[in-house]
Amino acid sequence: MAENLSADFVVIGSGICGALAAYKLARAGASVIMLEAGPRVTRAQLLANFRNSPRRSDWMSPYPFSPWAPHPVYKPKDNGYLVQAGPYPYPAEYIRVVGGTTWHWAAHTWRYLPNDMRMQSLYGVGVDWPCTYDELDPFYQEAEEIMGVAGSAEEHPESPRSKPFPLEPVAEPWAMRRLRERLQPEYPVVGNTVARNSRTFGGRPACCGSNNCQPICPVDAQYHGGLAVDAAEAAGVRLIPNAVVYRLEHDERDRIVAAHYFDPDKQSYRVTGKTFIVAANGIESPKLLLLSTSERFPNGIANSRDMVGRHLMDHPSTSLTFDADEEVWLGRGPQSPSSINTLRDGPFRAEFSAYRLDFTNISRVDSTTQRLLLDGVYGPEFEKRLRYSAAREMNVKTVLEVLPRPENRITLSDRKDALGIPQPQVHYAIDAYTRGGAQDAKKHFTRIAELMGGTNLRFTPDDAFANNQHICGTLSMGNDPNTSVCDRYGRAHDHENLFFIGTGVLPTAGTCNSTLAAVAVGFWTVAHILEEQAGVPSGKRAATGAGAGT
Amino acid sequence: MDSKDRSSTSLDHPLSRRQLLVGFLSAYTASLIPWAWAQEVPNEGQAAFMALSAIIAGRQTLNPELAKRIYEALDRSEQDFAARTQQLVALIEEQKIDPLQLQAILDKQYPQLAPIPRKLATAWFLGVVEVDGQAQAIAYEEALNAVFVADVLKPPSYCYGAYGSWAEPPIPNPNTQSEV
Repeated sequence: MAENLSADFVVIGSGICGALAAYKLARAGASVIMLEAGPRVTRAQLLANFRNSPRRSDWMSPYPFSPWAPHPVYKPKDNGYLVQAGPYPYPAEYIRVVGGTTWHWAAHTWRYLPNDMRMQSLYGVGVDWPCTYDELDPFYQEAEEIMGVAGSAEEHPESPRSKPFPLEPVAEPWAMRRLRERLQPEYPVVGNTVARNSRTFGGRPACCGSNNCQPICPVDAQYHGGLAVDAAEAAGVRLIPNAVVYRLEHDERDRIVAAHYFDPDKQSYRVTGKTFIVAANGIESPKLLLLSTSERFPNGIANSRDMVGRHLMDHPSTSLTFDADEEVWLGRGPQSPSSINTLRDGPFRAEFSAYRLDFTNISRVDSTTQRLLLDGVYGPEFEKRLRYSAAREMNVKTVLEVLPRPENRITLSDRKDALGIPQPQVHYAIDAYTRGGAQDAKKHFTRIAELMGGTNLRFTPDDAFANNQHICGTLSMGNDPNTSVCDRYGRAHDHENLFFIGTGVLPTAGTCNSTLAAVAVGFWTVAHILEEQAGVPSGKRAATGAGAGT
Repeated sequence: MDSKDRSSTSLDHPLSRRQLLVGFLSAYTASLIPWAWAQEVPNEGQAAFMALSAIIAGRQTLNPELAKRIYEALDRSEQDFAARTQQLVALIEEQKIDPLQLQAILDKQYPQLAPIPRKLATAWFLGVVEVDGQAQAIAYEEALNAVFVADVLKPPSYCYGAYGSWAEPPIPNPNTQSEV
């Protein structure tokens, strides 16, 4: 090993959270090395992968995993990376590439509700956050301004804001307009808040309605982690891709002194720094901490109280598919534009899960084709049925809250990946609280279908919950070290110079996608670090330190 | 490929003497494929392929280049593809099988022929064929599931139009059928 890599900050993970934190630190004058397990990718290649895929309905197919940095893949068969310990399957998906999983997202950028952060005080379930909504407001705003969040403050009084949305709302697809018109006044259908350009912004064009937000926006009308990495590198961050961090090293004062990584050939490197930030996603971050055992920390870094990886949460979904009595033609415009927000809060949260009702605008052409092929429908009937479903089929789904429970957790399995690193294992259950929300939603599903003149109602089975890949809670912040992993600023309770940024730190899941909250809390963490180090960083210098060039 | 012949199906085979497709068909099959009267094909195997394609796709004008790609891919990957396709067309003619019943009848009574229409339908409707055990995309924008809705929708990943154009009501071509 010829190198001695060193920087003021070592950021592990180059997803949207890690990259934007690295960007902020570099802009403040610090030297930053960002380590990413996966390779660089480009939008053009991902788009070509999608169009050339024989399995276009599998949105992970444009994102093949690297042998040295596997991520979970379930089709055409499970690659076995995320080991399921049960009792309920948790088929999480995430992407280990430079820029991370937001290459592939619907760009929902919701703020939590203030009450989502006071669940224990208000409803006697879950936990309270160690910080308040008002404290986070400016950091939410900063994140929204970087990401170019579009929305209407009037439509979203549930998450108060002190400044306007940076962008006006994205044009409403016709199908969503018809839902809004036909469901009012019983259900107010509102536009989602999204990191999607409603005009040219950040050097990127407005949305052109290609209905391909997932798996890849063809024109970068959405903000994503790849753009965050570009900004970070332009600000002076040194990115090292294909660097699989497998151990954090501490000194006798319990400070982290180095991150060790393997390259794809299993050559090992040691990166030193003054402050370490783990931002490697809600599963890979706890995995790394659990891997980093020592005599003093036999259960892993930041895990003296066995809290790392616990309180795993996501947003399970149930849904109803039906055929409307008019032609609405899903598939024109962005994929996920509108929701009903009125069931996201209320006294019932003491008893069962709140939920957001989410309407899809994803084209039904591919899914209908698959179904008709399976049914052996040939001849003129195929075209007639395809057009019928493409024009009339609609879907509404729940986005249900999961409570933070210690038994839902990420651990290490006894399986190892190609580099010999233990693979993550998940223990997960969907409890009565969440199931109660799903049951409650059924009457609303039915009523929504009625209002749309719906026929051919197809409810998902009671025990079939789809997953939304909003992996959070596994590095929860909190005031009590016995029930959390880090403090209100994301600092590990056990290690003075170790911070966590990402969805893992969020102590409750609420009923909204977790990315914006994670970025905002990450900015709150960075602001705290910079304030605390006031005067530091010690002038900008080359991130390569003594040993240049890998 | 004869560029003058792009509006209908034909397969490139310069050494063969071309005949009208209808000449290879019985009255029943020909009734499912009105354009067989205007269609030239080089041999019986390809005639059967095009007849079956037309039956499965449903009286459509078929893209000749895609027809060629599909035929070549299936001929390469399926054992005795031409012969089995001919058998299948003969069976359809003999039993006057409705396209809607075809797959169910084959699954039940003729398992050796059952994969043929399924693969052909997957190729035409979805643009995917399996070659040497590997699925391959041979069409996307030209796959029939995209063509059938092209008056209203673009294939995902292609720009729908100017910003906000999706807020307007969809206007399907009145000559298409969407009712069941």
